[in-house]
Amino acid sequence: MSILEYNGGCVIAMAGKDCVAIASDHRLGVQLTTVAMDATRIFPMHDKLYLGLTGLMTDITTLDQLFRFRLEMYEMRENRKIKPKTFSNLVSSTLYGKRFGPYFSEPVIAGLDKDNKPFLCSMDLLGCIAEADDFAVAGTCAESLLGTCETFYRPNLEPEDLFETVSQSLLAALDRDCISGWGAVVHIITKDGVTTRELDGRMD
Amino acid sequence: MDPYGQEWMNAEHSMGTSIMAVAFDGGVVMGADSRTTTGAYIANRVSDKITPMTDKIYCCRSGSAADTQIISDYVRYYLSMHDIELGEDPDVDTAAKLFRELCYHNKGQLMAGIIVAGWDKHKGGQVFTIPLGGALVQQPFAIGGSGSSYIYGYCDSNFKEGMTKEECMEFVKNALSLAMARDGSSGGVVRLVVIDKDGSERKFFPGNKLPEFWMG
Repeated sequence: MSILEYNGGCVIAMAGKDCVAIASDHRLGVQLTTVAMDATRIFPMHDKLYLGLTGLMTDITTLDQLFRFRLEMYEMRENRKIKPKTFSNLVSSTLYGKRFGPYFSEPVIAGLDKDNKPFLCSMDLLGCIAEADDFAVAGTCAESLLGTCETFYRPNLEPEDLFETVSQSLLAALDRDCISGWGAVVHIITKDGVTTRELDGRMD
Repeated sequence: MDPYGQEWMNAEHSMGTSIMAVAFDGGVVMGADSRTTTGAYIANRVSDKITPMTDKIYCCRSGSAADTQIISDYVRYYLSMHDIELGEDPDVDTAAKLFRELCYHNKGQLMAGIIVAGWDKHKGGQVFTIPLGGALVQQPFAIGGSGSSYIYGYCDSNFKEGMTKEECMEFVKNALSLAMARDGSSGGVVRLVVIDKDGSERKFFPGNKLPEFWMG
């Protein structure tokens, strides 16, 4: 089992009409043993920018702490919130900075930029950015997630419909992965705020 | 991650699994989860791991899906020949010993953990376990598969002699639900088979009909 599969878990993000959704599962495992069902993989960077991290949990926690520190410094110097695209470059260069001893984590970034236009991207563990206008996925069932997203996604979904689409795409892929699951959370980010809902999924 | 798919393409189908069987006066209750995995991918989430040998002898399979399918096919064939020669239903310990012969003499090539259980008219309900090396052990109840590690404490503290058929079914359902919640290689639905002197009956419990425990 590779080091990126040690703890399990996945993140999915999808764009809608002037909104984005980002969702993840709650499982924390030690290889095939489940150790916690309330792990957090999605972290708010500011009210319109969310960072989802997959892979090794210790690196997820470290990266969250690191990026929150870097953002505090950025806001102190620039006196404004960071743009999603700029943040994605910050994440990319941080990851590539450890090119020969990387953080074992693959991020997904979801946010709304100045004009409330959705921004989505995913990255590999070395910081290669893959920007997308429809959906971005990462984690142990990334391939399955790509399949379910490709099937269920339609452009310009309203927040309520986007929530349904993201939830079904995530749950269908979780049912086919042993090391992800045990509950899920979905955040819907719009210009008026963020709605967070827990999903009722299989607990096996 | 492995973008070219070599890991999972070459990983064999394994039944991570939680299986168990409990004997009661007059028969046995056998149970299993339904997850078959190829690496971390769930190849079949509704598999049937409780396989008939005769109408009153079944086996629960864990380990390599291919190995246990072939072994149980051989034993089913030997038992059907034996049935014809004997003129009556084979005994449970005969079936168990046939499994043992195959598992012990081929121990180097096989990865199979099997629980054999059933009812015969000579000794009633019996449960036999045949773990990886090919030992044969009769027990009042047996648990097996990767998920069983998580329920030894539960089973040891909740098993009592002289349970009724319904108490055995509750015991098996609770134990398997606990194992499926903690073991990544177990999950899906719970299948039960109840065997007594009148034959066998299959029962099916989807995820939402399983008992719920503390979920953290």
